[in-house]
Amino acid sequence: MKGHPNVELHATIKQTLPYLLMGIFALSGCASSNTGGQQSVYSKADPYEPINRKIYNFNDKVDDYIAEPISNVYKAITPQFLQTGVFNFFNNLDNINVILNDVLQGKLHQGAEDTGRFAMNSTLGLLGVFDVAKSVGLQQNNEDFEQTLAVWGIPRGHYLVIPFLGPLTARGIPGAVFDTAANPSSYVGAPVQLVSLLNKRANAEGALKFIDEAALDPYVFTRESFLQWRASLANDGKSVEPADFEDELGTEEDSSSPKAPNVLKLNFSFNSGQFKQASRSFSSTSASFENTAESFKKSSEKLDDLKIRH
Amino acid sequence: MTVFKIHSFNKIRCLATLVMLLLGASQAFAEEASSARQIVDKFQAQLIAVMKEGKQLGYSGRYDKLQDAVSNSHDLTKIARIVVGKEWEKLSETQQQQLVDVFSKLSIASYAHNFKEFTGEAFIFDSEEETTRGGVVVHARLTIPDEKDVKFDYMLKEKGNSWRIINIIANGVSDLALKRSEYTSILQREGFDALIAKINEKIDNYSKL
Repeated sequence: MKGHPNVELHATIKQTLPYLLMGIFALSGCASSNTGGQQSVYSKADPYEPINRKIYNFNDKVDDYIAEPISNVYKAITPQFLQTGVFNFFNNLDNINVILNDVLQGKLHQGAEDTGRFAMNSTLGLLGVFDVAKSVGLQQNNEDFEQTLAVWGIPRGHYLVIPFLGPLTARGIPGAVFDTAANPSSYVGAPVQLVSLLNKRANAEGALKFIDEAALDPYVFTRESFLQWRASLANDGKSVEPADFEDELGTEEDSSSPKAPNVLKLNFSFNSGQFKQASRSFSSTSASFENTAESFKKSSEKLDDLKIRH
Repeated sequence: MTVFKIHSFNKIRCLATLVMLLLGASQAFAEEASSARQIVDKFQAQLIAVMKEGKQLGYSGRYDKLQDAVSNSHDLTKIARIVVGKEWEKLSETQQQQLVDVFSKLSIASYAHNFKEFTGEAFIFDSEEETTRGGVVVHARLTIPDEKDVKFDYMLKEKGNSWRIINIIANGVSDLALKRSEYTSILQREGFDALIAKINEKIDNYSKL
């Protein structure tokens, strides 16, 4: 009995993955056809900025009025050692994903180290509550399926903001589906997942505060730092010669992804009838997405009203 | 006596030569003091020093100490120009000057706010490389006890006979690219006055936080 939901989920993923991947190509294809001539104020990585911004603002409100207050209560009532234990526990489970993706990316040496890390923390570290591996010099690595897809050469696709979940790239969708499916904490029921969410929010506190303090335009700040951070993770922090922009003074260039156009070109070979169809169906999805975004805008206004009244 | 005299004369001559050599060496050192790595090293040392005294100095004390440190190591005019991209050409000279002024203040204020205390941090130099277009990138790390190191890559360009930082890439996130996206987006969407107002608001917040 226990195996059934897993099998079912696996089947669902199997069914949906090709569509999701097609979605990525459709997204990339849209970008390729849009780049000619049209002067837009939007970044090439983010052609859906108006919709994304609305969802971003909605998420921000949800965070302000719901997630942050709950997270503050969690932090207030949970002693620090317990918070650290909770963080370590979920972090240790994440290592299953890290190891899988190590292997998928061909990083066998790192995979062996991460397996050692997982084994040590699961046993000596009492199911991961204590990070004993850190004290013997085994650093936590950050790998996920989105990075694996990047290593495999799948283009990044566009920047998307998902309601309640936050920023993602089109490549991150199959990434998130795979990683959720591979993580045991996805199968243990709502209370554990709630704790996992609280833990995530509590740990994002510093970053969110920094954005609040430093960003002139929090939406753009989040987008750019997210895209750059993901790109840096995908190439394992190897230094790429950074652009100095000097040549670009006086020209309009996309700052966030100088390499993107080359990657997108790869997709022209997919430009078959089927591909166009997928692209068209995406446009209609995008339209309904826009309607949804509109309703998100309205709901966040309502949330504001409520706040003012109280 | 004579032997002694000659001996002491020799001693003096030796000493003089030594002094001259030392002077020469320090002169040579002074000429090279502005190499890219030295600019970064000096700035990092100043930053750590301010962090160590952070609490006693308070925000305004840190700001005052960092004002020269930041201005002498960063090319703030060039950075301000780059972050607004092609919009720079559309600004009047007064506006350009105003942008450089508030941008410089914001840069110093953000250092004064973010590097306010010392908990055993240290900067470690990793390597240095020349870029294809005449710049130098200094790769360094900020070590924080019990936390993962933060990678800091400084990009420097030559200015006069010295080097100046024009970009800092922290853990793969380029400050210049980030600011450039923000600033051009605000300029295009809301205009110059809104940008200046937002920058001033941030400076104000930093001084209060």
